Amino acid sequence: MNIEVNDIDGTQVVSIDGKIDSNSAPLLDAQLNELLSQSQANILTDFELTTFISSAGLRVLLSAAKKAKSQGGELTVCSMNPTVSEIFAISGFATILRVFSNREEALAG
Amino acid sequence: MGAKPVILAVDDTPENLDVVKGLLVPDYQVRVAPNGQIGLKIAQAQHPDLILLDVMMPGIDGYEVCRQLKANPETATIPVIFLTAKTEVADEAAGFQLGASDYIAKPINPVLLKARVETHLKLKQNMDSLEQLSAQLAAAKEKMEDELSVGQKIQLSMLPAVAPQHDNFRVAATMRAARQVGGDLYDYFFINPRHFCICVADISDKGVPASLFMAVTKTLLRANTLDDSSTASIVTRINDQLARDNEASMFATIFIAIVDLETGVTRYTNGGHNRPFIRRASGEVESIPDLHGPVAGAMDGIAYGESELCLSTGDTVLLYTDGVSEAMTARDELFGEAAIGEFLERSGGIQPSALVTGLIEAVDKFADGFEQSDDITLLAFTFDRAPEQVVRELQLSLTNNLTEIDRLNDSFNELAESADIPIDIQMKVNLVFDELINNVISYGLSKDTEQSIQVGIALYGNRLVIEIEDGGIPFNPFMRADPNTEASLDEREIGGLGIHLVKELMDEVSYKRAHDKNRVTLVKQLYQA
Repeated sequence: MNIEVNDIDGTQVVSIDGKIDSNSAPLLDAQLNELLSQSQANILTDFELTTFISSAGLRVLLSAAKKAKSQGGELTVCSMNPTVSEIFAISGFATILRVFSNREEALAG
Repeated sequence: MGAKPVILAVDDTPENLDVVKGLLVPDYQVRVAPNGQIGLKIAQAQHPDLILLDVMMPGIDGYEVCRQLKANPETATIPVIFLTAKTEVADEAAGFQLGASDYIAKPINPVLLKARVETHLKLKQNMDSLEQLSAQLAAAKEKMEDELSVGQKIQLSMLPAVAPQHDNFRVAATMRAARQVGGDLYDYFFINPRHFCICVADISDKGVPASLFMAVTKTLLRANTLDDSSTASIVTRINDQLARDNEASMFATIFIAIVDLETGVTRYTNGGHNRPFIRRASGEVESIPDLHGPVAGAMDGIAYGESELCLSTGDTVLLYTDGVSEAMTARDELFGEAAIGEFLERSGGIQPSALVTGLIEAVDKFADGFEQSDDITLLAFTFDRAPEQVVRELQLSLTNNLTEIDRLNDSFNELAESADIPIDIQMKVNLVFDELINNVISYGLSKDTEQSIQVGIALYGNRLVIEIEDGGIPFNPFMRADPNTEASLDEREIGGLGIHLVKELMDEVSYKRAHDKNRVTLVKQLYQA
């Protein structure tokens, strides 16, 4: 799994290429925590290249989202493929995180 | 009464008879008798509508005349009014005891006489009408019971008599009517050699109209399945046809399923009916959850939906009507739907016919003699495919090292691609492996020693069966409560998600502990609605 971070108009866009499973989730966790410790609390996780996400990955997102909120920011999500969307729906994450179809909408909203 | 009422006056004093005649004629016809004997004779011959009877007479007195009148069935119902100078209470009481209707003191007050005569005549009239109506009612009831037996005959003739023999399934059904003709219906038949239809319906009413409605419903069912294997479309058409020309506003709850005997894929539509149960070969029992629309026949123009489930060898579907779940004891306890599910669980892999018989026995035992108030209908269908061919198989032995998960997934993905398993199913299985193997390694196995985890993957025509076995401490990953997926961000807790995902992404999950090993079995159907 590869992670790329771009600052676009103050939002940290975190693109994740590959699968977020129990092996790779710690990497994502480290990356998100680094951003949050730098007070970068507006984070967009872009799942366009993400194949799937396991519960380990979901826990990482949840933890980061809570921290972002407590810092006055927000963690949002975009570009999920059908499998990732389904996982979000089953786990109820689609109701606690704001989800967008693509990056443009996410940055505008 | 067309003619004027006939009053008989019995008195040994002629002047009294004249007075009475004078007062009552011309409103009434008056016959007179100078003594008790003649009075009795006239009463028996003429059957007057009312008798005015003097008490003090030579020969037989008024009391005796009254006694004799009441003793004779032909004259017993004629109202008798005593006329007498004797007015002691004791005398009046004696008269009433003999069956007299009233007492008038002499000298006779004309207004009183006329009023009392009129009252008692009216009373008698009412009594007579009442008796007539009663007789009519009894006759009608007898006729109705004859009709009921006709209704029962209609109902029974609508049910398929003999269960078809087939390699791929066994089916059994029964309908036991309540005392009154009800409107339960079941049916099973081949649509074509590859598709078999099972159906249960419960008509809203009882009696002959319900059994006719049921006959119509069954005819529509057969007619509409001739060229249609979509249960949604079949029920939509049946509903439209029933709703038209339905002045009595009857309706039916209905459940129809069509099984593809080759693949086990089953389409079904539930129109307001009790959710059937399905017992998987593994022993697990669950409700078939989906509802697709309201009862049939109530309103036309409704588009029903349908759902799909997949039957594997040894799976049994149980349809029933609310006569079963609402069977009652004398203390208003209901048998209940849960009890049906529990019976299914306890019944093991018995034949549908034994299942149906056994369940009725259980219901009867529960009701303990309390009268059955509604039709009881049961239909059990066990899918019985010939021994399945395994299309692909894979056995892997993993060590308790997290990196082994990738190796497992790579091997699985290779198998999946060669067998054209859809990519989304592949990914779900990958995810499930990630969750479960992680669990086993993190919680079940000791971290110090090297232990092995056995994974078996079998691909059948319509599904994947995966078994994960390990020799760790007894650990059932599915014991945890599901997380609250509706909690807000602040309230969400971290735990329990992985297993929840596994349960939702797979079609069946089960855990067993045997021979000192934990075994988790997962089934994923390859054909989904």
